Amino acid sequence: MITLDFPNPIGEEHWGLWIALYFFLAGTTGGAYLISVLFYGHDQALIRRSALWAFGGVVVGSFLLIIDLGQPLRFLNLLLGGFYPASAMWLGTWFLLISGAGLLWVYLRTPSRRLQQMVALLVALVVGYTAVLLMQTAKPFWNASPLLPWLFLASAVTAGGALLQLWRYDERLSRLIVAAALVEGAVLALHLLWAYPAAAKAVLALLAGPLAWAFWGFVVVGWGLPLVLERRSVATAALLTLLGAFLLRYFVVMAAQV
Amino acid sequence: MPNPNDFAILFDASRCIGCKACQVACKQWNDLEPEKTSNRGSYANPTKLTAHTWISMRFYEGLRPDGEPYFDFIRVACMHCTHAPCVASCPTGAMAYREGGVVTVDERTCIGCRFCVQACPYEAVHFDEARGVVYKCTLCHDRVSHGDKPACVKACPTDALTFGPYREMQAVAEERVRVLKERGYSRANIYGLGELGGTHVLYVLTEHPSQYDLPKAVREAEKRAATGWLSAGIAAAVLGAGLKFIVDRREAIKGGGQ
Repeated sequence: MITLDFPNPIGEEHWGLWIALYFFLAGTTGGAYLISVLFYGHDQALIRRSALWAFGGVVVGSFLLIIDLGQPLRFLNLLLGGFYPASAMWLGTWFLLISGAGLLWVYLRTPSRRLQQMVALLVALVVGYTAVLLMQTAKPFWNASPLLPWLFLASAVTAGGALLQLWRYDERLSRLIVAAALVEGAVLALHLLWAYPAAAKAVLALLAGPLAWAFWGFVVVGWGLPLVLERRSVATAALLTLLGAFLLRYFVVMAAQV
Repeated sequence: MPNPNDFAILFDASRCIGCKACQVACKQWNDLEPEKTSNRGSYANPTKLTAHTWISMRFYEGLRPDGEPYFDFIRVACMHCTHAPCVASCPTGAMAYREGGVVTVDERTCIGCRFCVQACPYEAVHFDEARGVVYKCTLCHDRVSHGDKPACVKACPTDALTFGPYREMQAVAEERVRVLKERGYSRANIYGLGELGGTHVLYVLTEHPSQYDLPKAVREAEKRAATGWLSAGIAAAVLGAGLKFIVDRREAIKGGGQ
């Protein structure tokens, strides 16, 4: 396990920075590809470019996952070890592999729109399985409510949209991001309320504990400010949204292990 | 339900004197490294299981609401569940059911992803940073498969720990609860009959399981993942269709009215 020694007020965590960074990369670049296919199906140049980004996200994310393992050189056991569909991690490994191949194909060969949409389904599975992975654990903050997939998917749309906004601006994209951000905020609030009885310690760590910097940093800088700035300074809003998406993944991953 | 002929350990809290002979015997037989301990105001030491401590005694003392003092203790280790979350979550098959319902990890296959650590509701699986794999109680598989008792059971001086076929251990536990209730322990109960398909370690308790920090509402990892996939599917459909409607259809409807 290769770790960076960040100041960690929480003590020990089993899944830390690399996992949060992977969730962020897969969610953001995957979200950008999903938006391209779903909303800009006619714009093949955009789809190709976002497919390349998403491919990069899958490759870099897989690399982060591998260096996070206790025995990185045994990573092939994930693929060759057998058939374990009950494990979200085993399924996720295959989703990553197949969607990576699909995204590279979309970038290099530009297949028909039907096939691009099938690759989008795989990418949606990559984005969604990360939340199911957390829900499959015994940590109450992750599994007390069924809302984690909603949160991760909504966040993938805001962050993916923000990534696209760095290169292009149009009114539709802006409206999409605002709508997704509102859903994201509502889902997060509902999740905290829902999880509070079972995971009071984690929720309090977010609101006023060792993770408050990440939580309020997300709420103010990574979510509220971009909503205000969306009409005034799109580039700033997009960058802040991306920062917020990382903070969101980071505090969700860390809070359950407080 | 475990197979009636499976191996089973019965821990009887009403017979335990808290001597930690089981904890020491486990260390000795399995050749586990010593732990750096510190005085935290409790006899429990170390307070949690680790990769090198597969059994530990937990102590609970205080005053009951009626002013009567209590001093309860319990042996904590892997429960060897029939539907074990660690096995369901393992993506490589390293954590698996062995003969007699025993759950062990194959340290040559384990990749150190720590999903099982997150999935266990009893916090019985732990990651060894130095070796990069997880470790936990093996129910002394090396001993029991040769007809001997587990080391902890062999060392117990008060018969608080007994070992035998599941069917017999269950019968002994039921008889013991009946006797305890006759003697005035009105809250005496058996823990482990219904949890996670029935655990191969049964507890006879004199108090409600929550008194010993034993989780009552444990869900199988397969069910937690199924909830997650269902929620993710609904989220993807609702968010995809909803955002598409907000961004495109509404525009079309508005545009059509002009």
